[in-house]
Amino acid sequence: MPLTADVAAQQVQERLRSLHRLIYDIEPERVRNEQCIESILRAEKAAESTQSTDDSSGSSQQQIMQLKNLYKSGLTAAEQEERLLRAALSRIYEIRTIKNERRIQARHAGNKETIGCGALMKMLLSAAQTLPLHVGRVGERAPALCGAVPADAGHVARPGDAVAALVRVSDKEENWILAEVVSWLPAQGKYEVDDIDEEQKNRHVLSKRRVVPLPLMRADPRTDEHALFPKGAVVMALYPQTTCFYRAVVNRLPASAADPYEVLFEDSSYADGYSPPERVAQRYVIAIKEGKGRAT
Amino acid sequence: MSSQLVDEIADIAMNNTEADSSQTHSHEATSSTNAEDASSSNTANPTGTEGQASRQSNLQRIQQRKQQVYNWPHNKKLLKLAIYSACQTPDCNCNGWKTPMPQQPGKNNPRADNQPLAGFNDPCRNCSHILEKHVTQLQGLQVTEINRLLGAVVDVENIFMSMHREEDHNTKQVYYYLFKILRKCILTRSQPRIEGPLGQPPFERPSIAKAITNFVLYKFNSLPQREWQTMYDLAKMFLHCFNHWNFETPSVRKLQVSNPEDISAYQINYTRWLVFCHVPAFCDSLPHYETSLVFGRTLLRAVFKSVCRQLMDKCHSERDRMPPEKRVLVLTHFPRFLALLEEEIFSVNSPIWDPDFKQIPPNHLQQILDNKTTNRRGGEFERVTTTGDSKDGFTTVTLSSGTIKQEGGKRAAELSVGAKRRRARSADTDVSERAVAEIVATVCDPAYMCGPDALFQMQAPRDEAAKLEEQRKLIEFHVIGNSLTGPVNKQTMLWLIGLHNVFSHQLPEMTKEYISQLVFDPKHKTLALIKEGRPIGGICFRTFNSQGFSEIVFCAVTSNEQVKGYGTHLMNHLKDYHIRNNILHFLTFADEFAIGYFKKQGFSKDIKLPRAMYQGYIKDYEGATLMHCELNPRIVYTQFTAVIRTQKEIVKKLIDMRQKEVRKIYPGLTCFKEGVRSIPVECIPGLRETGWRAGAGPGIGAGPGARAADDEPDLAALRTVLHTVKNHAAAWPFLKPVDKTDVPDYYDHIKYPMDLRTMGERLKSRYYVSKRLFIADMTRIFTNCRLYNSPDTDYYRCANTLEKYFQTKMKEVGLWDK
Repeated sequence: MPLTADVAAQQVQERLRSLHRLIYDIEPERVRNEQCIESILRAEKAAESTQSTDDSSGSSQQQIMQLKNLYKSGLTAAEQEERLLRAALSRIYEIRTIKNERRIQARHAGNKETIGCGALMKMLLSAAQTLPLHVGRVGERAPALCGAVPADAGHVARPGDAVAALVRVSDKEENWILAEVVSWLPAQGKYEVDDIDEEQKNRHVLSKRRVVPLPLMRADPRTDEHALFPKGAVVMALYPQTTCFYRAVVNRLPASAADPYEVLFEDSSYADGYSPPERVAQRYVIAIKEGKGRAT
Repeated sequence: MSSQLVDEIADIAMNNTEADSSQTHSHEATSSTNAEDASSSNTANPTGTEGQASRQSNLQRIQQRKQQVYNWPHNKKLLKLAIYSACQTPDCNCNGWKTPMPQQPGKNNPRADNQPLAGFNDPCRNCSHILEKHVTQLQGLQVTEINRLLGAVVDVENIFMSMHREEDHNTKQVYYYLFKILRKCILTRSQPRIEGPLGQPPFERPSIAKAITNFVLYKFNSLPQREWQTMYDLAKMFLHCFNHWNFETPSVRKLQVSNPEDISAYQINYTRWLVFCHVPAFCDSLPHYETSLVFGRTLLRAVFKSVCRQLMDKCHSERDRMPPEKRVLVLTHFPRFLALLEEEIFSVNSPIWDPDFKQIPPNHLQQILDNKTTNRRGGEFERVTTTGDSKDGFTTVTLSSGTIKQEGGKRAAELSVGAKRRRARSADTDVSERAVAEIVATVCDPAYMCGPDALFQMQAPRDEAAKLEEQRKLIEFHVIGNSLTGPVNKQTMLWLIGLHNVFSHQLPEMTKEYISQLVFDPKHKTLALIKEGRPIGGICFRTFNSQGFSEIVFCAVTSNEQVKGYGTHLMNHLKDYHIRNNILHFLTFADEFAIGYFKKQGFSKDIKLPRAMYQGYIKDYEGATLMHCELNPRIVYTQFTAVIRTQKEIVKKLIDMRQKEVRKIYPGLTCFKEGVRSIPVECIPGLRETGWRAGAGPGIGAGPGARAADDEPDLAALRTVLHTVKNHAAAWPFLKPVDKTDVPDYYDHIKYPMDLRTMGERLKSRYYVSKRLFIADMTRIFTNCRLYNSPDTDYYRCANTLEKYFQTKMKEVGLWDK
């Protein structure tokens, strides 16, 4: 299915319209929820006061029934709001997917101007900012590839997925670079990946252990702190404004879902061996693969 | 020394041959061989040998021709004069002998010396009396008188040629008037007299020359002698340039001045100038007057601003060729001089225009003045004698007003001016000013961008993000430096230290000591990029004022802030800073990683500065490449991309509007099915309505497609395609010829090698006379590659990718019709 610029634009427009409608739908729902909660609070207060003053079971029974009903309708209203919010979020992710898809197609069509360095960096930043946020249901643990949670053992990255790939840059040196999966070659157990930096224009065929998929979702520190690297963890992080991963130490965790990590890169040119704090988005901070890819 | 300076300035001013056609033509008229060159020189590059040659030839050629005519045998002179002399046969009205054979039809060329020589017995075509009858009255005349008439004949012919070529209607009429006067005075053997409503010179008192001398006395009397002398030189320089100035025609002026009174006053003065100053400068049969001696305040007020502007522009663009001391004079003192002068010219009661102005100059100054007056017979209207005074003799100061403006329009503020200029050039494809204003309003509206472009826009200008941050005051730019003599504030010191850190981190091959040595050197300055109070990048440079260039020593942006457009924006700020300080050249030694950056910033490995200008000044680095960048003072570099973009949008919008106007659908052509091989382009229905014209380039509304149908390939389009193909990521294998040492058997297999560099050279030498040749060469590159390499190689894949890309690009410019 060729995704021309026009088709993509049309699809994006559609999603935007839908998103627009959803946002309008959310507002009355939110107002309803608020009213719900208010009446619950009132009812609870009334129940408490009657309990303390009067023990006549008839009226308290009635109040409990009323409260139950209020709780029920509150729940459905909250679920309805959640549904709408998730629908709106999914529209945003769809737009993101369409744009990514379009970019990949344009790249393979060969008739696209090389993306300039600056544009590439901008794209990487916005890709990290718009990475879907994991909003778990109650009691649900963050899934694989959310934040710091590693991929399952049998996970196979799909074409277009962003990965860190360990490639040989010279006889002596190997680098973890930011790449994109082109295909999975099951027979050899290898990935075909493209360097994200088109100016390099290198396609690499790498064994699975040299390819680490980047997170597919962000973790929210308020709900899923366990899905973040702890302070002091040694990680691989994308050096700002480059397309290479280097070893770094987590200095501060993100405060909110939209916040980046603050990391210190190993850098022998600084007196204490570490760079000043740098901010790196969740998408570009991954677990270290021991033994390989030391930053040089 | 002073007079030499003046001459040199004059030379500079005259170096430019971009005079508007009327003036150049008049000088070129005597040269039959170069007549065509003269018209083409308007579009050609003004500098260079061609310009020099034609400048030198102007008056000399006229003089040579006159000399040549004076040396003719007496009979030949009479034959020549016969053409302009009345027949002496009683009752005959014929006023000039005409050859019996009709001349080539359509070419009414009065120049007789190319025609077969007539004899004294040949009858006149006009009155059929023999030639001898036309010259009997000349027989007894003195040689000097005959020569005087012959000189007038040469002048008549020159004026005729000029008139023929002149496009401005009013100027043409003036030429015709002078032509008639001169003819009449040959006929009657009298002295030419110009009479009538124009009046007689001087037209106003005090004269411009007098007022400016007054100005120097009035303003600078208190200066010590040396400085006074400088001012005096500048005054002479200004007068000299003014005397050789080519004034713009009233029709051009009308576009700038709205007051009808001003225009009619200018029209009168312009005509006077043509008749008494300009034309007589090359036609010495007419009495000649210096502009500055016969005109006064009115004319100077009318033209002063444009004269100044162009004079300064010229000085700036010529600055490299001046010796240093003169550069100081011209670039430092002259603007100040002009500014003071301007005040006096436009002030209501300046004493310099007082006809009785008296200021006794100090004794030593009086001497200088006296010298001058004895040389110049001050106050008298002198005649320019062109022989013997060759330096001064050329009459064109060709800072004509039209040319500069046409190439201008780059500053943001000039956008609307640019639109007006368009109107002046082509009235028929004119766009109303309101429409232009509306377009400008639309394209400048941030909400304007919409549709697929807005969603997938990737190709923003490199410096756009940085510019936005500067607007929001997130980043700042400061030029700072250390000082050993004055106090340096703490902020500057902290920033310098910060910059030192940035440079030493980003340039690990430089030792820290070396960086300190230069960053803290008071002769070096650094343009610092400050974000959140601390420097994140900078360019350290040293300016050599005497040599007119700056050396860029270090240039870096801290690593985590790179690729955000800061480097480009820094360099643009540095360029603007230097233009403000009148330094127009950058030199730098770039290492292999920096070459790419400097190329993007307009630097080139081709050093245009003479070696003597920088050798011994600039620090030499081993293994680095010297690069040079010349600044154009007319550009505000920090706004350059935005202005170009806006201009592009305006043009696109204009095309859009035009397309809407002429929207119409024609059925397809059927003639090709019927076996017709080709039809003339203009027969395609609808094409004319879009504004397409045969021979003309694509006008508004005629897209590149219209051009594609032409036989002549659009070289600019080919150049663009070749350029983008070269820059494609898959182009690297084809950039230059395959090296035999690398691939020994390549040429055994490939008999017709081709590569992108060769294509570039062929394009430059105009080898591609049709697009087919161009496509054939390009295709050759790919077939060669696929022939030599196997399909699983990178080369093979590159060939496929690039070929697809090439075809897309050719389709985009409408050059692909397979």
